[in-house]
Amino acid sequence: MSDTMNIEDYLEQGGVLTSPMNVPARYRGELLRLMGSFVDSELAGSAGFAASINFAPGIKERIAASRITLEKADHAERVLNVMGSFGTDTARYQNQHNWAARAERDADIGTIRTGGDMRLSVFHYPITGWADAVVMNVLMGLATGVQITELTRLSYAPLAEVFREIAPREARHAELGLEGLERIMANNEQREEALESIAYWRPRVAATFGHAGSQRFETQKRLGLRHTPNEDLLAEWNNQLDTRLSTL
Amino acid sequence: MARFHPLEVTDVRRETRDAVVVTLKPRAEDAEAFDFTQGQYLTFRRDFDGQELRRSYSICAGKDEGVLRVGIKRVDGGAFSTWANEELNPGAVLDAMPPMGKFYTSIEPDADKHYLGFAGGSGITPVLSIIKTVLAREPKSKFTLVYANRQINSIMFREELEDLKNLYLGRFSVIHVLETEGQEIDLFTGRIDDEKMKGLFERWIDAGSIDTAFICGPEPMMLTIAASLRDHGLSDDQIKFELFASGQPGRAKARPVSKQTHDTAETTEATVMLDGTSRTFQMESRDMSVLDAALANDLDAPYSCKAGVCSTCRCKVLEGEVEMAVNHALEDYEVRAGYALSCQAIPLTDKVVISYDE
Repeated sequence: MSDTMNIEDYLEQGGVLTSPMNVPARYRGELLRLMGSFVDSELAGSAGFAASINFAPGIKERIAASRITLEKADHAERVLNVMGSFGTDTARYQNQHNWAARAERDADIGTIRTGGDMRLSVFHYPITGWADAVVMNVLMGLATGVQITELTRLSYAPLAEVFREIAPREARHAELGLEGLERIMANNEQREEALESIAYWRPRVAATFGHAGSQRFETQKRLGLRHTPNEDLLAEWNNQLDTRLSTL
Repeated sequence: MARFHPLEVTDVRRETRDAVVVTLKPRAEDAEAFDFTQGQYLTFRRDFDGQELRRSYSICAGKDEGVLRVGIKRVDGGAFSTWANEELNPGAVLDAMPPMGKFYTSIEPDADKHYLGFAGGSGITPVLSIIKTVLAREPKSKFTLVYANRQINSIMFREELEDLKNLYLGRFSVIHVLETEGQEIDLFTGRIDDEKMKGLFERWIDAGSIDTAFICGPEPMMLTIAASLRDHGLSDDQIKFELFASGQPGRAKARPVSKQTHDTAETTEATVMLDGTSRTFQMESRDMSVLDAALANDLDAPYSCKAGVCSTCRCKVLEGEVEMAVNHALEDYEVRAGYALSCQAIPLTDKVVISYDE
């Protein structure tokens, strides 16, 4: 079996790469960008949720919020370790930014990356209370589920494996949120607050799916880093969310 | 960042006409760092004509052999593999990074699993390490190996595999598929293609009994086998891949000699190559990074931390010179080969050409 093929053709046909030694330059750049965005988002998400622990109305909720805070940091670390195999200085990286920093609640950030880090724009908005934290976690948790499922199929095997390991735990975070949201929606006063939060977070979470017809997506698809277009993932999230909310 | 450690070569055994098996010994203080997991690889570095070359080779030893051993097959035009095959002798010292790679599943002593391995040519090396370890440490598990080679005399570890079959009767079976040599069973002659995979699953291997499949070989073989495994009901998390050495980029080319000397002009004409197209624009000041200039000109260049830490924005300087304010991610040999972190790269010459494609 001495025959080989061009690595770009191999990737287009669904091939898998397995070590930093066999990735082409452009692939390397896009792969690291994808990982950087994930790590920054998880760290910013964890930092944002840390403050929510003290909004928790009871011990059960406090434990749930702590667990989410802990595991998101752990997921960031696992992906950062893959970045480390490409030369990233992991010790410096994790102290590079203020992950707890937030913009104003009514700031208009759009989908543009702001500040020095690559977190998804939704993680720049501050959480204002327990109902708000739960709603944000449900909406973003379901979005993360859709987005991570897409990433479990990506062509860099060591990273796809990490995503397959963390996908069920991220799904559990969304479930914890849904359990909390059920309790909140059963209370008339809190229900109003939660509905307002849903209206606030829904467009901001939707923006994390990126633009329809994205050029970046085409590049990532060619490299086997993505498979499903942004608009299809967004539609899937909208479906899931509507189904879940309709039962509350 | 992973560091290199010296390994002493204690044995070099000729395995086939163009492959050697090299046994290595770490220093006592490095023993822990080199305590590998079955299926992992070592990355070596060596200077050839003043240029550093890095190559990865899979460990072929099992966990219970108590040695560190890699198989190195000579590749046409491959400087490192040719040198290892022709000039490497016991007593030599090789620089290597600690074992890396995730081509394995964790060992569970009570497991009763059926593993299926596919190896093409020297792709056998990590698979052999897995076979030996699994058979020794999971006494109830079975392993089926499909091993593709050109002809009988190019089969690496042929005798060792026969010995394993005898040692683990009924738990280990090998199907040799030979490209250019006829065998009693037609199915085992020729290349592994979709048709052959179907034949294997019809008569020789029960796809439903497989817990995990390992594939290591060249790109076309990996594609064919992975597609067939999925067709036969295996999910992505049941298929483990290791792309073998052919995917490694060629020798790092020397940094091109600058066509210009430093000058005092305040502006720079920058040309950026990305996805096969190049764009040229003027940088009006010398205190802006090449990355920021590219982004300002609507180029979708890769970056993440913008602090010289993550290396997402790595580019190659093809012409002119740049200076990096900080560099926490690229190693010296990458910098010598002309790579730079574009987020930190300030142009020093009135013309620079950089590429994200190389």
